[in-house]
Amino acid sequence: MNKTVLLTIAVLITLVLSACGGADFESENINVYTRDTTSGTRDGFMRGIGFNEAAGSDDVLVDGFVTSNNTGIMSAITTDTAGIGYISLYSVNDTIKALSFNGVTPSVENVLNDSYLLKRPFVFMHRLDFRNETEEALTLAFIAFALSNDGADVINDNGAVATNTSGNWSSLRSDHPICQQDNSAHTLVFGGSDSVTRIAEALSAAFAPNCGNVQTVNNHTGSGDGWRRTQGDQKDGVNYSHVGYSSRFFRDGELETDPSGASRFQIAWDAIVAIVHVDNPVDNLTADQLKRIYSGELETWGDVIND
Amino acid sequence: MAHKNTYSLSKIDSLTTRVLWIFGIVSASFIVLISLFITVRGVRPFITDNNGLGNVDLWRFLTDTVWLRGPTFVSTAYGAGFLIIQTLYLAFLSLLLSFPIGVLTALFIAKIAPKPMAAMMRGVVELMASIPSIVFGLVGVGFFLPMIYNLARSLGQQSPGGNGTLGIVIVLAMMSLPTITAISEVSIRAVDQSLEHASLALGASPTQTRFKITLLAAKSGIFSGAILAIGRALGEATAVSLVAGNARSGPNFGLFSINSTLTSTMLEGLKETTGIDYDIRFSVGVLLMIVILLTNLILNTIKKKVGNVHV
Repeated sequence: MNKTVLLTIAVLITLVLSACGGADFESENINVYTRDTTSGTRDGFMRGIGFNEAAGSDDVLVDGFVTSNNTGIMSAITTDTAGIGYISLYSVNDTIKALSFNGVTPSVENVLNDSYLLKRPFVFMHRLDFRNETEEALTLAFIAFALSNDGADVINDNGAVATNTSGNWSSLRSDHPICQQDNSAHTLVFGGSDSVTRIAEALSAAFAPNCGNVQTVNNHTGSGDGWRRTQGDQKDGVNYSHVGYSSRFFRDGELETDPSGASRFQIAWDAIVAIVHVDNPVDNLTADQLKRIYSGELETWGDVIND
Repeated sequence: MAHKNTYSLSKIDSLTTRVLWIFGIVSASFIVLISLFITVRGVRPFITDNNGLGNVDLWRFLTDTVWLRGPTFVSTAYGAGFLIIQTLYLAFLSLLLSFPIGVLTALFIAKIAPKPMAAMMRGVVELMASIPSIVFGLVGVGFFLPMIYNLARSLGQQSPGGNGTLGIVIVLAMMSLPTITAISEVSIRAVDQSLEHASLALGASPTQTRFKITLLAAKSGIFSGAILAIGRALGEATAVSLVAGNARSGPNFGLFSINSTLTSTMLEGLKETTGIDYDIRFSVGVLLMIVILLTNLILNTIKKKVGNVHV
């Protein structure tokens, strides 16, 4: 009796320890990992692979998908040889394998030269009519700061790829005399996309001490409000904002209020990378393959390899 | 002199009574406040039109097997029926693991371990009870999930990175273990020694006495520990959501399949969501309170039926 128990335990332990070589990779079902529907990364990924319905709906995804957060997906993919997930380019490290998208390797360089296309832009616009000159000067100073090397550092530190490096703020600052005076009585209001909240708040926090301790308020509610509250129909209401962010390019209706485009800037790219286990032989997936994996059309890794 | 002293003492008495009354009312009103707040917010999705989206169908919410049909922020077709089943299933499965370990540990501490060791073990149990749940979750993610993943593979099964039922059950069992152990230990020590002496005098061995007399006599207290442990398991959110895989449809029963509970669903994306998708989490909260209340009522009834043994 005792011997049987011991033997069973020994066999189990051996099995657990020797498990890595287990099942045949190609016949394994793909374990699909995703962020939940409120995540900006999910929105960017699903739209980037042309699976727009899945940006907001879970019920179009393959059965048995795993919902997790950034770190959860990372740590799962380090153990799960049959898994696939997606994370921000910023989070990529060598514990997982970053897949090429449509044949292009994900890198800061390829994001900036427009060859890596699984990405979305972070843009902003400022309002055209201000309550007073001080607010106008402060807003323009903020725009200059966000586009400077110092602004780019803040953006890169918060997970996106900055698109502008127009010089150091220390030298640009002299163009904005408003920043020499005490601005603690003035408040700049920021709004728009909620996926850029982290970057926008970091920019506000970095800007204030560089411009006379101006007060900042970040109220992010969605990309649509970026235009609406600075140049659109809500610009003079209670949601009066100085700068509006968007995590997509401004659309036709939003461009009409400033045909010259002088009030609109792109500040960064948010690149998203599909990741798999380091032992996974797959190196590259197309947008269509990713879509078919997430919709359940490609069920096993064999299906993908022989696709 | 003596008269004066008595007078001032009785004055202090009435003052103390009043202060205690106030504290009692304050702490009771916290519960009322929380229940009211959650209920008022939680009922809203069912009785308002949610800014033009239409109201949530209560029957579907209580019975459906998919969390949300249709796009988030647009659809109101929420369903939590499968979550109720999964939550209860996971809580009882974790009790199945933690109950025997906890009770036997308690028996060891109370009756067998030498005094210094018992004191040390008690310290360890108290320490374990004070570890925050997020730490249990991280241990689950870093240590147990890879193990579960390999176990599944060795059994020829596929596991999504170890996420799912087994991970949740292990984490919940670890978390409810100190509760069961501490309460069982106290009630085992409270067993009348004369009962044990009588058993030993009648010729029963120490082992027979411990299992047939001591544990039986302490079963009411042990049962209380189990009820508290179930409460903790039903309500745990953070640690569970880290290892659950957060299934959006179900019910799932397989040991290696992803799973989810009422609380993990409330937590998922909570910080980033708005509107109906935010409000519905309060409805899940109301549902959770009802589930915990009913479970406790049923378990207490069972306890009264089986637990009436002289201690």
